[in-house]
Amino acid sequence: MITSPLAQALGDLEEDKAILLVNDKLAKGEPALSILEELQAGMNIVGERFENEEYYLSELIYAADIFKKAGAPLQEDLKSSVQVSYGTLVLGTVKNDIHDFGKDIVATVMSSNGIKVIDLGVNVEHQAFVDAIKANDATLVGMSCLLTTVFDDMKDAIQTLKDAGLRDQVTVLIGGGPVDQATCDYVGGDYYCKTAQDGVIAAKKVLGVS
Amino acid sequence: MADTHEPNAGAGGSGGFAPPPLFFERMQRLQTAVACGTPDRVPLSLVMDLFAANVMGVSYPDFVSSVDVAGRTMLDAMERLGDVDSIQFPTYAPDVLGMLWLAPMKVPGRDLPEHSQWQMDEQVRIQREDYDKILEMGWSPWFGQYIGKHLGAAAAAGQALQEAGPRWTMEYMKKGYVVFSPLTVDHPFEHIAGARTVKEFTLDLFQIPDKVQAVLDVIMAEKREQTRHFLRAVGQPGLGYWVGSWRTAPEFLSPRLWNRFVWPYMKELVEIVAEEGGTPVLHYDANWDREIERLKDLPARRCVLELDGKTDIFRAKKILAGHMCILGDVHPAMLTLGTVDQVKAYCNRLLDEVGPDGFIMAMGCALPPDAKFENVKAMVDSVQR
Repeated sequence: MITSPLAQALGDLEEDKAILLVNDKLAKGEPALSILEELQAGMNIVGERFENEEYYLSELIYAADIFKKAGAPLQEDLKSSVQVSYGTLVLGTVKNDIHDFGKDIVATVMSSNGIKVIDLGVNVEHQAFVDAIKANDATLVGMSCLLTTVFDDMKDAIQTLKDAGLRDQVTVLIGGGPVDQATCDYVGGDYYCKTAQDGVIAAKKVLGVS
Repeated sequence: MADTHEPNAGAGGSGGFAPPPLFFERMQRLQTAVACGTPDRVPLSLVMDLFAANVMGVSYPDFVSSVDVAGRTMLDAMERLGDVDSIQFPTYAPDVLGMLWLAPMKVPGRDLPEHSQWQMDEQVRIQREDYDKILEMGWSPWFGQYIGKHLGAAAAAGQALQEAGPRWTMEYMKKGYVVFSPLTVDHPFEHIAGARTVKEFTLDLFQIPDKVQAVLDVIMAEKREQTRHFLRAVGQPGLGYWVGSWRTAPEFLSPRLWNRFVWPYMKELVEIVAEEGGTPVLHYDANWDREIERLKDLPARRCVLELDGKTDIFRAKKILAGHMCILGDVHPAMLTLGTVDQVKAYCNRLLDEVGPDGFIMAMGCALPPDAKFENVKAMVDSVQR
C-alpha cells in the first residue's frame, strides 16, 4: 500500500514534519477533508505498530497529540464537511469513580481514529449516559473504572440503558485497571477492551470501518 | 526531605520482648521462600486496607482517619482469616500515597461519600517551568515547597505512620505475624508522572527528553544517598522495602523510553536496598511480560517479585526460577466476582506451577475492599493443602 508522506510522518511520530506538511497542503488549497483522511491513515499506521508491539501506550499518546496539533488548522473548514467521523462514542468513568487517566487516553485515541467522542467525564450518573446517547444519536458507549467497588455501578449503568430501551441500539465497550472478561460478563458489556487500541479496533468493527 | 514514605512505619525491632515461636516459624518460612528455597509450606502475605474495615464492620471514615483504628482493624481481620503468615503494612493511611505520586488523595468521609474507596485526585500540578525550578533549586527544597502547597494531608499521614508503625508492628509480632515489607523506596518517574499527569509527562518524554532526564537525575542523586542513610537508620536486615512500579510498567512505555527513563533508576534503587541488607519487594502492577528477562540482572535470591494478575506469573516463574521469589497473584476481580471454587482452582495452579519453591501466595496488588470474605479465606486456606 502506498502511504502519503503526511501519513508516514504521523506514523513515524515526526511532529514538526507532520505539522509542516499540513500547512503546505492547506496553502496549496487541498481540501481539509482529504488532509484529515491522510492524518487518519497515519493513525492507522500507529495502530498497526501498536498491534505489532513496535509502539506502546506512550506512542499512542504522542501520536494522538500530533494528530490534534496538525489537524487544528483544518477544524474551521471541516465544520462544513458532511462526514468527518465514522460514528459517535459516549464515554465516561462510571459513578463513584473519579479516575480519568484511562478514560482520557481512550478519548484521545478514539478521536484521532475518526470517532466522535462525547466525553462525560468521571463519576458519571447512569442517566447521563442515556441522555448523551439520545442527544448525540450515539451507537457506542465506553465505560471505564479503576475500582472493583464500582463494578455494580457499571452494571447498573448498563441496566439503565436497558430500562431506557437503548440497549439494543448501542454497543458497550468497557475497560480499566481491574476489569477483565469476567467483569465484562458480570456487568453485561459487549466488548472488554484491554487497551485503548482494543477499543479502537472494537469500535471500527462495530461501525463497519475497515 | 526523605525520599521514602511511611518512614519507619514498620521498623522497631523486637523492642525488648520475645516474639512467640510462631513468629519465628513464619519468618523462617518467608525467608526460605525469598531465598528461592522450599519451605515447610508455601507462605502467605497480604496487603489490605478497606477490606479489613468491611470484615470488621468499621466505617471507612473511621478507618482512614486514624492509623490506630486502621492497625487494630487490620490485625483483627488477620485473626479472623486464620493462619496468615504475614502482612505487608501494619497499619494504613491512604493520604500518604500523595507522597508517592505527588497528588492529594480523596478519602471517604472527608472528600467522598462514606462508603467510597479512597482515590487519587490526579491533575496537572506542575508545569514544564517546574523542571527548571527543580534543576535550579535541587529536589528537596522544591519538594518541600510543593508539599506545603499540595500535600499537607500526605505529610501528616506520613508522620502519623512513622509514629504508629513500630507500635503496630509489635502488636502483630505478639500475635506471631510477620510485618513483611512496611517501607518504600520510590522511583523518581512515579513522582513526576503523578504530579504532571501521565499524558503530559508522556509528551514531555518525547518533546523535552533531555530536560526530563536531568530532573530524574537530580532526584536520583538525592535518593541514592537518602536511601542508604534510611536503611542504615532502620537497621533491620532482611526487612522488605517496596520498590514499586505503577506508571513505570513496560506495558505503558516503549523500550526506547523505558530503557532510558525507568530501568536504570529502578535497577539502582533495587541494588541499593539489597546492598544495604534490605529485601527489595518489586511491587509491579500492570503488565511486565516484556521485561521479565531483565529481572535476572537484579541480585539473585534477594528480591521478591510481586505481581497483580496482569503479568503472566506462570511464564515469569519459568524465567526466574531459582533467581527470584515470586509473590501473587489472585486477581482482584476474581476475589470480588469469582466463586470459592474458582479461587481454589487458581490457587492450586499457583501452588503447582509457581510454588512450592520461591513462592509466596498472595492477592494481586491488594485485597479489594469488596472482596468476598469466603474467597479470601479460600486463598488463605489454600496453602494448607
